[in-house]
Amino acid sequence: MAKDTDNLLVVPAAPAESPLDAPFPSKRMLVNLGPSHPAMHGTVRAVVELDGETIHGMKLDIGFLHRGFEKSCENVTWTQVFPYTDRLNYVSSIMNNVGYAMAVEKLCDLEVPERAQYLRVLTSELHRMCDHLTLVSAMGLELGAMTVLIYGMEARDLIWDRLTELCGARLTSNYARVGGVSRDMPEGWGEKVERTLERTAEMVDEIDRLLTRNRIVIDRCRGTGVISRADAIDYGFTGPCLRASGEPYDVRKATPYLVYDRLDFDIPVGTNGDNFDRYLMRMEELKQSDRIVRQCLAQMQPGAIASDDPRFVLPPKPEVYGSIEGAMAHFKIIMEGIKVPPGEAYACVEAANGELGFYAVSDGSGRPYKLGVRAPGWNMLMALPQIMEGRMLADLIPTFDTVNMIGGEVEQ
Amino acid sequence: MKRFVGMWLVIGAVLVGLVGLFYAFYALAALGAKGAVALGFPGFYGSAIVNAVTLMAVTLMTVAALLTVAERKWSAAMQDRIGANRILVGGKFALGGVPYLLADALKMLTKEAIYPVARSRFLFEAAPVLAFAPTFALFAVVPVGPEVRALGQTVGMWVANPDAGLLWVFALAGISVYGTTLAGWASNSRVGMLGAVRASAQMISYEVSLGMSLVGVMIAYRTVSLQQMAIAQGADVLGPIPALGLLLQPLGFLVFFTSSFAETKRAPFDLPEGESEIVGYFLEYSGMKFGLLFLAEFVEVVILAAVTTAVFLGGWHPIFFEGWLKANLDPMLFGAVCAAAFLGKLILLTWIQLVIRWLLPRFRYDQIQGLCWKLLLPGAILNVFVTGAAVLVDPSLQVLAWIGVAEIIAIFGITLAVSKPKAAHGGHDHGDAHGHAAHAAGH
Repeated sequence: MAKDTDNLLVVPAAPAESPLDAPFPSKRMLVNLGPSHPAMHGTVRAVVELDGETIHGMKLDIGFLHRGFEKSCENVTWTQVFPYTDRLNYVSSIMNNVGYAMAVEKLCDLEVPERAQYLRVLTSELHRMCDHLTLVSAMGLELGAMTVLIYGMEARDLIWDRLTELCGARLTSNYARVGGVSRDMPEGWGEKVERTLERTAEMVDEIDRLLTRNRIVIDRCRGTGVISRADAIDYGFTGPCLRASGEPYDVRKATPYLVYDRLDFDIPVGTNGDNFDRYLMRMEELKQSDRIVRQCLAQMQPGAIASDDPRFVLPPKPEVYGSIEGAMAHFKIIMEGIKVPPGEAYACVEAANGELGFYAVSDGSGRPYKLGVRAPGWNMLMALPQIMEGRMLADLIPTFDTVNMIGGEVEQ
Repeated sequence: MKRFVGMWLVIGAVLVGLVGLFYAFYALAALGAKGAVALGFPGFYGSAIVNAVTLMAVTLMTVAALLTVAERKWSAAMQDRIGANRILVGGKFALGGVPYLLADALKMLTKEAIYPVARSRFLFEAAPVLAFAPTFALFAVVPVGPEVRALGQTVGMWVANPDAGLLWVFALAGISVYGTTLAGWASNSRVGMLGAVRASAQMISYEVSLGMSLVGVMIAYRTVSLQQMAIAQGADVLGPIPALGLLLQPLGFLVFFTSSFAETKRAPFDLPEGESEIVGYFLEYSGMKFGLLFLAEFVEVVILAAVTTAVFLGGWHPIFFEGWLKANLDPMLFGAVCAAAFLGKLILLTWIQLVIRWLLPRFRYDQIQGLCWKLLLPGAILNVFVTGAAVLVDPSLQVLAWIGVAEIIAIFGITLAVSKPKAAHGGHDHGDAHGHAAHAAGH
C-alpha cells in the first residue's frame, strides 16, 4: 500500500490555528476505493487520503481495463477495427463506429450516401439516449435511489431492443462501415422506434419527477463536484460536462458533420458546473435526442445505405456469387483490407461524453499504420482529483457518476 | 379490479388469521398463568414466559423474516419487476417468494465464515450479538394486546410491563449503537471503521431527537409506561375521536418516525452501510454473523413500527367499532381482535418504511447531522413546550387536540405548497439559474 501512495502529499493533519494551541496529533487515513468497488464502475482505483470524511488528496489508478486498443488495431484490416471500436464506450458503441468510419472516409475521400448519413445520426442519437439513461439511472443507484436505476434500465433496454432489430446486437453493434452502414432499417422499424421513444419519454419523465426536485438529490448534487468554466476548458473537457460549466461547445453545432446541419435541435448549457447541472444536461439532451431521431425518421428518403465505390465497399452479394469481378473484389477486400490512400486524418463526433476523436494514419496498406483515439472521458477523469480536493468522500460518488468515466474508452 | 378485490381479500384473510393466532396466544398465555399459579408463583410469571416465546420468538421473528421477502417483493412491485420467484415448491408454486425465507436462512447458516486476520477477536464475535440482542429485547415492553380475563386468569399480551416503559426503549436503543460501532472497529478495516464512525455519530445524534420527541407524549398522557399510553389513547377527546398520539402530537410523530428511521440505518439514512460508497460497517462479516447484523436491521424496522403504533397510532385499540366489539365479544376474542389491529397497524407502518426506503436516495454525512440538530431537535423541543403549555391550560387535552389538528393541516398545506413545481418543467427549490435558462446557445 505504501508504494501505491508514495505520490500522495502526506501532510500532518489539523495544523494549530494559533501558536498557543496544543498540537492535536491525528493521522490521515488512506482508503482504497476500487478497482472492485460498487461505485467505481469500469474498474478504476481511487486512492483517497481522508481526514475524517474530507478528501485531502486523491490518486487515480487506471489501467485495469487496458486492452491495447490502439496497438491491436494495427494488426487488423481497416474494416476489422469496427468491432474493436464497439468496446470503447460500450454503452453507446455506434457513435464510436461512426467516428472511426468518418476518419477513414476522410482519408479515402469517400462520399457517404444520404440515407446512410441519416441512419448514422439516428442510431447515434438512440445510443446517446442509452448512454444518458445509463448515467442518470446509475447516479440514482449510487445515491441510493435504486428504483431510478430500474426505470432507466427499462427505457434503455427498449432502445437496445430496437437496435438489436437493426444491427443484431444489443451492446456491440458493429453497425457503421467505411462508406456507409451495414444494414438498412427493417420494415416497420421507424414506427416502432417512435413508439419506443414515447415509452422512453414516459420513463424519463418518471425519473425526472423522482430526482430533479428531490430535496436529497439537490442537496447531494447542487454545489458538489464544481468545476469552473476556465478550468473545464483547461482540462480539455468536452460534451455535457463542459456545457454544464457554461461553455456552449458541441461538435454537432461547432462543426456540423453528417446531416446535423439539417436537423433542428438545441444544446442545453448550464451555469454552475456542478453535479446537478451535469445531471440536468443529460436529462435535457435525452429530450433533444428524441427530437433528432423523430426528425431523422421524417426526413429520411429511400436510397443506398453504402457508397458504391468498389475500392472500399464490398460488392452486393449477387455480384459476389454471380460474377468473377465481384468475387475477386470481395476476396481482396476481405483478405487484404481496403487500401486506404496514404495520409493522416482526424475526425471527431460528439459522443455521449464529449468529443470522441479518431486520428488515423495510413501507409497505403490494408491495415492502419497508426490509430489514435481522443477519449472524452479521459480529461474528465484527470480533473477528478482537483474537483474533489477538500470535499467529502460522499461527494466523490455523484461526481464520479456525472463525469461518466467509461473504463473501456479511457483505457484504450 | 380483480387485483384490487384480491388485494382486499388477502388483507382480510391476514387479519382474520391474526385474530385466530392471537386467540390462541391468549389461551396459551392463560395456560401459562395457570401453570405458574399451580406452582405457587404469581400468574403473570407464566404468561410472561409464554408471551416471550409467542410474541418475541414467533411473532417478531416471523414478521422480521417475512419482511426480508416483503422487501424483495415490494421493491420489485415498485420497479416493474417480478421479484423473488425462482424457488418453486413442488416444481410449480412460487408462493409469493416466501420459500426464500428458508433459502436465505440456510444460505447464511451454511456459508463459510471468513475472519480477517487483524480483527479484534472477542469484539468481532460479540458485535453481531450486541447489535441484535438489544433491538430484539426492545419488543418486551411493547403491549400487543389489552389485558383480558381468559380461562379464569387475567393475562395481557406483553412480555413485561415496567413502569419505565419508554425509558427501557431509550436505554436499549442506546445500547444497540455498540453493536454497529464495534462491528466496524473490531474488523480492523478502514472502510468498516468509516462506517462505524458514521453509525455511531448518526445513531447517537438521532437518539437525542428520538428521546425529545417522546417527551411531549409523556406530558400528554402523564406516563412513561407503554401500556398506560395505549390505554390512554382509547379515551375520546374531540367528540368521538379518540386521543391518538397522532392527533395530539403530529409534530412529535414526525420527529419520532424520522429519528427512529435513522436508528434503523436504512435508506435514506443508510450512511453507515452506504453500499455504493463505503460498503459498510459489516464489510468483513460473512455467514451467519453478517446474517445477524442484517436481521437486526429488519428487527429494528419491526420494533420501530411497533413502538410507533403503541405510542402514536392508538396501540391495540381497533378504533372503529371498539365499543360495540367490547360489549358483544367474548373478552378473549376481543383481546385477539385488538392484537390483530395492533399487528395490522404495525404492518402498515413497515410498509410505509419500505416505500420510503425504495424511493429516496441517501443523505450525506453532514446533511444528516444538520437534519437532526437543526431541524428535528428544535422541532421536538418546540413540541415539548407547546405540549406542556397546552396541558397546563387544559388538562382534558382538548386544547392539545385542536393544536394537533392545526399542525396536521399546516403540515399538509406545506407539503402541498412545496410539492407543486415552480416552473412548467424542471424547476427546483433553489430558484437560481440553471441549464434550461440558457438553451440553444449554439444556434
